[in-house]
Amino acid sequence: MNNMPLVQLENVSRIYQQGKVQVAAVTDFSLQIQAGEFSVLCGPSGSGKTTILNLIGALDEPSLGRVLLEGRDLALLGRSDLARLRRDRIGFVFQSYNLNPVLTACENAEFVLALQNIPHAQRRQRVMAVLAEVGMAELAQRRPDELSGGQQQRIAIARAIVSRPAIVLADEPTANVDSATADAILDLMARLNQEQGITFLFSTHDQRVMDRARRLIHLRDGRLERDEVRG
Amino acid sequence: MQLGTMAWRTLMRNKRRSVITAFSVGFGILLSVTFTASGDYAYTNMINTSAVMGLGHLSVEHPDYRDTPTLDKRLLEAEAVQQRALQTPGVTGALVRIMGQAMFAGGAKSVGGAFIAIDPAQETPAHNIFLRTLIEGQCFSSGEERGVVVGAKMAEKLNLRLGKKLIFTMTDKNGELVSELGRVSGIFRTGDDSVDGAVVLLPLGLVRKALGYEPMAASLVAIFLEDHRAAKTIQGKLVHLWAQSKEITVLTWQESQADLAGLIAVDRLFNYLLQFLVGLVIAAGIMNTLLMSVMERQREFGIMMALGMMPGQVVRLVLLESCWLALLGLALGVVITTPWFLYMARIGLDFSGQIGTDYSAGGVLVDPVMKFRLYRESAMWIAGAMFSLTIVAGIFPAFKAGRMTPVENLKQG
Repeated sequence: MNNMPLVQLENVSRIYQQGKVQVAAVTDFSLQIQAGEFSVLCGPSGSGKTTILNLIGALDEPSLGRVLLEGRDLALLGRSDLARLRRDRIGFVFQSYNLNPVLTACENAEFVLALQNIPHAQRRQRVMAVLAEVGMAELAQRRPDELSGGQQQRIAIARAIVSRPAIVLADEPTANVDSATADAILDLMARLNQEQGITFLFSTHDQRVMDRARRLIHLRDGRLERDEVRG
Repeated sequence: MQLGTMAWRTLMRNKRRSVITAFSVGFGILLSVTFTASGDYAYTNMINTSAVMGLGHLSVEHPDYRDTPTLDKRLLEAEAVQQRALQTPGVTGALVRIMGQAMFAGGAKSVGGAFIAIDPAQETPAHNIFLRTLIEGQCFSSGEERGVVVGAKMAEKLNLRLGKKLIFTMTDKNGELVSELGRVSGIFRTGDDSVDGAVVLLPLGLVRKALGYEPMAASLVAIFLEDHRAAKTIQGKLVHLWAQSKEITVLTWQESQADLAGLIAVDRLFNYLLQFLVGLVIAAGIMNTLLMSVMERQREFGIMMALGMMPGQVVRLVLLESCWLALLGLALGVVITTPWFLYMARIGLDFSGQIGTDYSAGGVLVDPVMKFRLYRESAMWIAGAMFSLTIVAGIFPAFKAGRMTPVENLKQG
């Protein structure tokens, strides 16, 4: 069981219908990701990075092929089971932070724990520990519109890791922040990967992110171009 | 953080839009209260007026009297019936009466009409509209065996004044014509010419003697209730009391005044229909607002679903927003409706210039002053209906939010 890949994509294709035209976002794509990886899906816009993240994150279904997470075929799960899987096993970090504007930083970070019905006191304790981890404990009671882009992204990372997921999927996490903030965010994620063994999979075309990755999965036109593992 | 808190905060994100939508709920309450309270007032007024015109809210009578109201159909122990009825909770009065048709003559003229034979010792203006509307003289007293009280229109037709003689001719219990003489002790004016020209109050004792009735007999016992809505319930209790007697039946005002009951039922139906249509328009507005709010937040829903929110929880979140909107609407509704309601309940709008003071419907005088009266159950019904309407209006937007897949939602915005 220890050798079982955390994520497995087998000959996956994703074809979208746009009006009368069919567009293949991903074609015959296979990939395995092991627990503890710090990997990057890279490629130009339209190369299929986000589609693959969506497929791995159980947000979308492949038109062909299979996606397995921890050995489970996602196609066999219903909507509620998929929601449960996302809630318990997957963390998401989005490009535009996407914090809920009506919730405080703390409430945003504990959102997933609340969905898991973890008692208030327990989840508050866990969230405050994670916020301290990402350096945001002081600003826990602020609303997203009172935080900078970098601070919001830190909260988004806290939200993604607080439930101790099997994998964190980060879609262009540095796209909307300045260089210094991007470096700080990447430092944070690298540390979480090393210290807590959290698996990260990024989609990006940001060179700074690619420089940090231990594995680079190059995509072009929805196909695997090159899979590069670094020492 | 609970979904309810989140729903409230979401609603308050766009305060202006939420308050405007809540105002439409509040306005719906104002309209609904206007329709319902004016109906409650008018119907109650008509029913109570009809009751004090002779038959009461309930009438205890001979089973055949309603279909063939001849004077041979009578209750033999009317006084005993009266005493039993008075012991029933909710009954405020029970009066023994003989009612029937008669010919009235004064001088050279005569007119056909109806008489109500009453015991002056027991009758009060509260239970007798004719005593309440006396314009000349007074009601005959117990010792005044031959006193009569006539309507102003009849007095005019027969050229009667106080102290003048009135001869009345009726058919006795054996079908024989009998005549008696009375003297006018009082003249009333209800405002309805058809009533003022036809009704005469006569002494019960004199009429009993004229008709050859037994000492305790009468054609009916008119029962008055604290609340006319209890008529059916109290009828049930009274029927149970006299279940063994085949000579006694108890009718509600709806049965004895079928025209009035029909008129009220039709009017109420139109009232409900109108409210339903207004409700539909308001619901469409609320649904439009909620739908707009849901469509604007599709990406947010996508994020929440990506984080593990179940479709059912998304539906619940939007429905909770509807709930809050409904509660806000109810609160605003109370605020904007209360001054209007208080004004209408205390002062009202006088339409006598438009409909006159003698307008009648279903044989009953209608108050030309439109006022409000709202029964507790009507108020609860309005609040419940508006609340439900707002929730129902939120169902489609809620399911729309929950039905979309996370990726569809994420692609928006």
